[in-house]
Amino acid sequence: MAKAAKEIRLQGVAASPGVVIGPVRILTGEVAMISRRTIEADQAAAEMERLMQALNQSSEELEIIYQQTSAAYSPDAAQIFRVHQAMLSDPMVIDECRDMIQKERVGAEYAFSEVMDRYIEKLSALGDEMFRARHADVRDLKRRVLHHLLGSEIAPIVLEEPSIIFARELTPSDTVHLERGKVLGFAMDFGARTSHATILARSINVPAVVGLKEGAASIKDGDWAILDGSEGVLILNPTPVTEAFYRKRREKYLDRLQRLEKLKDLPARTLDGKNIELACNIEFIEEAESVIAMGGDGVGLFRTEYLFLSGAELPTEERQVEEYTRLAKAMKGKPLIIRTFDLGGDKLPPFITLPPEQNPFLGVRGVRLYFNGASSLFRTQLRAIYRAGLHGDIRIMLPMITSVEEIIQCRRIIAEIQEELRREKLPFAEQLPLGAMIEVPAAAVVADLIAKECDFLSIGTNDLVQYTVAVDRGNPHLLYLYQPYHPAVFRLIAGVIQKAHEQGVWVGMCGEMAGDPLVTMILIGMGLDEFSVSPGSLPYIKEIIRNVSVEECEEMVAQLFELASIDKIQRFLNDSFRRKFSMEMLI
Amino acid sequence: MITKSFVVKNQYGLHARPARMIVEEASKFRSAIYISKDGEEINAKSIMGILTLEARKNSELILRIEGEDEEEAMQALTEVMEKISLLEEQF
Repeated sequence: MAKAAKEIRLQGVAASPGVVIGPVRILTGEVAMISRRTIEADQAAAEMERLMQALNQSSEELEIIYQQTSAAYSPDAAQIFRVHQAMLSDPMVIDECRDMIQKERVGAEYAFSEVMDRYIEKLSALGDEMFRARHADVRDLKRRVLHHLLGSEIAPIVLEEPSIIFARELTPSDTVHLERGKVLGFAMDFGARTSHATILARSINVPAVVGLKEGAASIKDGDWAILDGSEGVLILNPTPVTEAFYRKRREKYLDRLQRLEKLKDLPARTLDGKNIELACNIEFIEEAESVIAMGGDGVGLFRTEYLFLSGAELPTEERQVEEYTRLAKAMKGKPLIIRTFDLGGDKLPPFITLPPEQNPFLGVRGVRLYFNGASSLFRTQLRAIYRAGLHGDIRIMLPMITSVEEIIQCRRIIAEIQEELRREKLPFAEQLPLGAMIEVPAAAVVADLIAKECDFLSIGTNDLVQYTVAVDRGNPHLLYLYQPYHPAVFRLIAGVIQKAHEQGVWVGMCGEMAGDPLVTMILIGMGLDEFSVSPGSLPYIKEIIRNVSVEECEEMVAQLFELASIDKIQRFLNDSFRRKFSMEMLI
Repeated sequence: MITKSFVVKNQYGLHARPARMIVEEASKFRSAIYISKDGEEINAKSIMGILTLEARKNSELILRIEGEDEEEAMQALTEVMEKISLLEEQF
């Protein structure tokens, strides 16, 4: 290591956070040159047969990799290989190869390589990064199939010592074929945050920097290097001063990872002992497992729209009973808040027709749809929820409540369907807590009246912001006004919590604001009882909750209420966060 | 022959996973199934075709189906398109 080489700092794109220090190992990942082998006309069928066999072998291999990746990383990360399998059986690719083999009389490996190159070129030329990034997948696949055609295996890459892997562009196979534990980090000249290899790197917590552009020109195999995936930097031959600086950064980062991991089994409790419910918003039943795995206290919002939007037919009562029961059981006794379908606005399934509306977001949506156009659908869903209610701690939440009458009306319908179920001798839960979503300013203002009719409230901030500032979220000219940090929004939220508490009713929040670390302390200070966030942001919010006291949060709320402008509030939240925590705690 | 138009609604467009969902469904039917965008038409049973179409969010697509089971195919693909519109993940 005693080289007098000069320190070189290469700036790329931060693709997966973390700092590592070690030798660079360069991966070339190329297969042997493919020669244009000419064949006799009567060999075409045999060549095609060879190709199909290689495709099948590759597909079988991918099936194993899919299973392994799914188990070792996550089913989500493994989806990449399902996509590769679909590419292997692409009829266009097969037809084009057959054409080339027959007409140009070339060997299978040449035909396949040429056809794949054409797609790689086409994809690389696309304007959208998300689509352009897929050329790496095609490259990966091309290599895999060629290996089979040429009779060589893709063996795991053996690393003698823990190394930073550099490649012009890493493929997903490279990433999973590398010996785990010996990969310190990934650096690439190409690639993007959306490359599959990058997504994999993030899912296994390996730092990565992509887009180094011409790094290959400066890097030599075995170079000592620092890779900072949070800053997107690769430093070759660092000076001792640089290295010492990054060693400290690395320690801090590792501490943080360890802290988050340890939080899993700890309660979301403030320093002064207040327990806060930390739940998750989910949309698919499969997500229930990750809620439990993350150490969530329950599901604060289960969106049911999916059931209604995913089919051309109405989901039957039986199917819904089955789905809700499955979910309730997966929650293992933890609370599950099912929101009755929130459709209308821009989302309507084919079997609901509404007269055209001038302003759909001010029109028949949420609970309003239950009385105008979808009453039987609502009754069916309620019947299903009450029947499933026997299998867990299920609660019901009504979306887009604007007035007390709407809840009374829903309660009447609930009494009717319970009567029906009794008559039909179908077992069901007699008592399920009923809550209202507060996402309309009118509801926020009369939260005390609504609380009297409900068992809980949950604040939906996305719509509450939109309706409070009267700005269409999609209007680019008014983005400066569509601000969750508007003082009016904070005042409404504080008011809702206070009014509900006066009635002895608990309040949760299931909007995006609940997962925003900058406002966690504010919401605690306002007395919010439950935060419902995406499973991914749960540990971050838990870490904040566990490091603050209710008292200091209340002080922060008092200071916030002194501020008049969105700008000042934004600055105040940023500054307070920086003072109390490191900015690295921001997601 | 039947046709129907769609708007791509999910944030990341018809990228890898949604493309695979379409191919998987389309391949179940005997009918010829095509998707076109801005006049360019591709075979809906080809994932490469769908990816190179670069159908981002808000792209307008026309689905054209021809064959004995075209009605069922259209219904099945409509369902898939609705499922896709709810996807949030990146791949």
